[in-house]
Amino acid sequence: MGVTKEQVESSLKAKLNPSHLEVIDTSGGCGASFEVQIVSEQFEGKRLLERHRMVNSALEEEMKQIHALSVKKAVTPEQWKQQQDSNKSNPAA
Amino acid sequence: MSFVTAFQPILLVSSSSSSPRFCHCPSLPLQPHCSPTLTFSSNKVLLGARAKPASTRISNIRCFSALTPELKSTLDKVVTSHKVVLFMKGSKDFPQCGFSNTVVQILKSVNVPFETINILENEILRQGLKEYSSWPTFPQLYIDGEFFGGCDITVEAYQSGQLQEVLEKAMCS
Repeated sequence: MGVTKEQVESSLKAKLNPSHLEVIDTSGGCGASFEVQIVSEQFEGKRLLERHRMVNSALEEEMKQIHALSVKKAVTPEQWKQQQDSNKSNPAA
Repeated sequence: MSFVTAFQPILLVSSSSSSPRFCHCPSLPLQPHCSPTLTFSSNKVLLGARAKPASTRISNIRCFSALTPELKSTLDKVVTSHKVVLFMKGSKDFPQCGFSNTVVQILKSVNVPFETINILENEILRQGLKEYSSWPTFPQLYIDGEFFGGCDITVEAYQSGQLQEVLEKAMCS
C-alpha cells in the first residue's frame, strides 16, 4: 500500500506550515503519485530549486514509496495573492 | 530460488530507513547485478554493467552507500563533459517516462545540444545520482555542471523564459 493524500498533507503541514495547500493523488488509487501546490512563508527569499528541495525533504519518508511527485506550485503568500488577483482580473487566462 | 537470492539485497536496502532510497518504478525491474563501470573519454560517456557474485553483494549491503568516491568523481566529470546533461529514464529518442519525455521535448524545442544518460541501464548510477544531486527522482537536468532541477522546475523555468536565459549564458561561457 502506498502513501495516502492525508499523510502527504500532514507531513507538509507539520514541516512547512503552509497557508494554502493542495495535494492531489494522481496515481489512480495506488498512492504512488501526487501533485502538490503549496504556499508557505518559509519559501521567502528561496529560489525555486531550494523550494522544491524543501518539499522533497519534508516528504523524505513518504518519498520512499512515492514514484512521482510533481510540485506544481511552491510560492510565498505574497506571490500566491498576486496570482489569485491576476486570475480574478483575467479569468480567461 | 536463485531469483529470490538475487533480489534479496535490494529488499534489505529498501526496508532500512538509513539507506539510500530506491525509486519504485513499477514499469521496469530493478537491476541488482549492476555495478558501475562508468568510463569517461573525451566526449563520450560509456555506461556498462558488470556481473558480480551474489555473496559479495550481500556482505557489502549493511554499509551500502550508492555514492562511492569513485562514482562521485566520475559524475563530476560527466556533468561537466557537456554544457547540458540530462539523466533520464530511457533515451533522447525513446524516453521511457512522461516526465523525462517532457524535459527532452523542452530541450529539443529550445534548440540546444544536449547529452542524455539512461539511468535505467545502471542501478548503482541511478541510486548514486539521487545522493549526488540530493534529488529523489528523475529526470535530473545539469546545466554547466550544476544541477538545474527536475521536470517541474524545468517546465516552470521554460515557461518563464529563465531556462532559455540560463542556457544562453551556459552556451556562451
